Amino acid sequence: MGKPDRGELVQGTLDMLVLKTLTLGPMHGWGIAQSIQQASEEVLRVEEGSLYPALHRMELDGLIDAEWGQSENKRRAKYYRLTARGRKALADEAHHWQQLARAIARVMETA
Amino acid sequence: MNKFVKRLRALWHRRELDRDLADEMAFHLAMNEQNGGGRFGNATAIQETCRDLWAFTSLEAWWQDIRFALRTLRASPLITATAIVALALGIGANTTVFTIVSSALRFDMAVDHIERVVALHPGEGLANLAPGAPTPIDFLNLRSQVKTVRNLAAYHFSAVNVSDGHALPERCWGVQMTASGWAMVRPKPQLGREFGPQDERPDATPAVMISHRLWERRYGGDPAIVGKFIRIDDVDHAVVGVMPAGEQFPEDTDLWTPVTLKDLGNPDFLRSLLIFGRLADGATISAAQSEIDGVTRRAIAQNVNGPVVNVRPFLEMIGVYDARAMLYAMVFAVGFVLLIVCADVANLLLGRAAARVREISIRIAIGAGRVRIVRQLLVESVMLSAAGGFAGWLVALAGLHWFDNMSAQGRRPSWIHFSMDTRGLLYLAGISIAAGILFGLAPALQLAKIDVNSAIKDGGRGAEGPRGRKLAGLLVGFQMALCVILLAASGLMIHSTVKLYNAPLSFQPANVLTMRVDLPETKYANGDSVRGFYNRLESELAGLPGVTEVSLASELPMRGWREFRGEVEGPQGKPSITGELDGLVVDPAYFPALAVRMRQGRAFDENGQSQVVVNESFAAKFWPGENPIGKRLRIAGRNGSQPWLTVTGVLADVQQDVMRPLGSDPLIYLPYHQDPQSSVYVVARTAIPPANLVEPFRRAVQNLDENLPAQDVLSLDDHIAQQRLNVTAFGKLFTIFAAIALVLAWVGLYAVVAHAVSRRTQEIGIRMAVGGTRRDIFRLVVKQGMRQVLGGFAAGLPLAILVTRGLSHGLVGVSPSDPATYLGVALVLGIAGLLGCAIPARRAIRVDPLAALRHE
Repeated sequence: MGKPDRGELVQGTLDMLVLKTLTLGPMHGWGIAQSIQQASEEVLRVEEGSLYPALHRMELDGLIDAEWGQSENKRRAKYYRLTARGRKALADEAHHWQQLARAIARVMETA
Repeated sequence: MNKFVKRLRALWHRRELDRDLADEMAFHLAMNEQNGGGRFGNATAIQETCRDLWAFTSLEAWWQDIRFALRTLRASPLITATAIVALALGIGANTTVFTIVSSALRFDMAVDHIERVVALHPGEGLANLAPGAPTPIDFLNLRSQVKTVRNLAAYHFSAVNVSDGHALPERCWGVQMTASGWAMVRPKPQLGREFGPQDERPDATPAVMISHRLWERRYGGDPAIVGKFIRIDDVDHAVVGVMPAGEQFPEDTDLWTPVTLKDLGNPDFLRSLLIFGRLADGATISAAQSEIDGVTRRAIAQNVNGPVVNVRPFLEMIGVYDARAMLYAMVFAVGFVLLIVCADVANLLLGRAAARVREISIRIAIGAGRVRIVRQLLVESVMLSAAGGFAGWLVALAGLHWFDNMSAQGRRPSWIHFSMDTRGLLYLAGISIAAGILFGLAPALQLAKIDVNSAIKDGGRGAEGPRGRKLAGLLVGFQMALCVILLAASGLMIHSTVKLYNAPLSFQPANVLTMRVDLPETKYANGDSVRGFYNRLESELAGLPGVTEVSLASELPMRGWREFRGEVEGPQGKPSITGELDGLVVDPAYFPALAVRMRQGRAFDENGQSQVVVNESFAAKFWPGENPIGKRLRIAGRNGSQPWLTVTGVLADVQQDVMRPLGSDPLIYLPYHQDPQSSVYVVARTAIPPANLVEPFRRAVQNLDENLPAQDVLSLDDHIAQQRLNVTAFGKLFTIFAAIALVLAWVGLYAVVAHAVSRRTQEIGIRMAVGGTRRDIFRLVVKQGMRQVLGGFAAGLPLAILVTRGLSHGLVGVSPSDPATYLGVALVLGIAGLLGCAIPARRAIRVDPLAALRHE
């Protein structure tokens, strides 16, 4: 394994980003990936190889719900939706993340 | 919806999951293409990863193991069937015994926390009290003073005669209990009302509460029974209620009556009470003991050595409570049988393991972990034991059915039912799994340890190795050791049974008919009316053809005695001795009726005053080396009178305690004439078979009093057989267990020796080729097998001596370390062992050296 790419996500943050994205409304996997990419102004790129396992894991854990529906282009697509538990998990994660970010920032400033 | 359910659903809709995953990936790809490409990872790999998330990975591996195990077990049907049958017997017998014991010891008496209820018994200190001293356990006094026991209650338990228009008069058990006793009883009457304060008033209409079983049996479940009158000991009682089925507190009884204030003023009644109560919160038995003993001591106001009152758990009064050690011993014994079964099955599997070395080696070689191999093999053995457990369940159902039927014929507490319950099933499941692991572990570890390289090269022969043979030998030794314990236990019991049956009787039980009659005190209130009734009965019976002698006795042989407080004149020049005296009340015809010899002197006269007969043991105890004739003793009478009685004769010892055939209990025989008892046995010697006189005896009683039932009309032979049966029942069960154990251990030994012979065919061939005689070969094989038998015996002997101590309670005239019994055990085991070795050894000597050498 080589050096991680710049655009790769820090371990564990993908879940949080997916949950955050789903607060905008139900979305399919491709839409989530695109949404994260755009919101991060193309800095973060979501690999399908991590996205789908993460989605299925969170579905099993009950953080998100899935439903099959029609996509914009009339294809059968799986839409993910935030559950109450997912919302709570997102709040926890976000809080934790902000603490971490602030702490890192402080260290970087003083050093 | 939780994870598990989601996964389960995914498992069910497996195909759907696959399609959905494929669709999801396809959609993503399509979107990618539509929006100007972008690369996509390995779609199949992503799908695979996602699918794994939905799967029960570990569960599926287990499933694989189970299917594989099924295939393996089917591949060797003979071994599988043998193992299942052996396990079914072992597990079935264990579950049966466990369920019987746990049901018998449940004490479900519908009383909350029965284990905190205590009963008050007279203590040893009483023996020193002068005859005629007031009864020390004074209910009323205790009730007002004792703090450590709440709810101090008392009851009187006795047989009563029930008569009414419904059926023939019947002898029933009755409990007369104080209201404080009723306060402990949980269930309410299923019909009618509870006893209330109005029933305890001295002028109350006599009331009775009947048990469910009496209600069904005698009154056919009559829903209108409440309010009707039934005659109890010739007094009309109004039925106030029916208790629900199974309610039998504080004794196994048919009916209950209240204690009235009038009863409490009667000292005779107070004396007959059994006092009990629930320990106050935080109080211990020893605290209650010291408080109650102290209170009682102050009331007696005499110096007494030893406790006058003993506070003991209420449960101790229940018959099975005494038999606990025996019951637990039974659970152990049958557990040993299962261990022997396990060792047998382990040996079977070890034998098969040798044949499977190659298969396992290959699995290890292509990368199966050893833990996985052990797991696989354990799954196999647990499945085997599960099958055995299922078959064992059927065995246990049959066993329990048999036992329940059998014991229902005897008199057993009504809360005890022997049927499969949840606890029994849990136990069954537990021992099945434990047995599977136990017998599977040795072969599994053995196989997992094999050296793959040599095993594959060796063609699966060499790998059995000395360790496997040693293990098999150890297992056989272990079986033999367990066998020794069981054989010793059953041997002791058999020995004790033999002693019991062979003990010489000092009387002639053949051609004696006995019958019990209880006169209700309400109708036969004084000694004269009782005496009058029995005089008429005796002359009526004596007039029957075939009756040669009719007598009355308070107890029959082997049925115990009555206890008296009394005083015995000491030997020459010594002070007299006060204390408890045991004895019977009989009329002089009792001695010829039993045909028991008078060793010295003669019986008391028919109407003689102040005379008494003692038995040999009594004379030897109190007047050693002196002539007992003319010595004196006296008994505390009901009304305080205690004239001196003169010994007229010394009777040969008659066995009164069924557990002590060598009867050395000092007993006195008091003349019936002086102390007429309302409950007696009629003992009649006959010239014709006693069975022919049963009906005439019954009729004779009915003719004199139509409300009076004749009970237990039995020949003395039958009566003695019944008494002995209770003592020998456990011995029979142990003997069955020991026989099964011996057969199973023998099979184990035989299999191991036979296996060794067949493995050593080549070696035997060489030995014979170089000049070994058949005798040498025979000796070699037998010697090797007998090593395990002897090792097992040596290991089992000290254990057996230790374990059988627990049985001493149930042994008659045999010490737990009886050398003759152990000699017998050694003999049985030795013969079985020699047979187990000799049969395969005979095969060994028939080996044709040439054929053996070509064996490879």
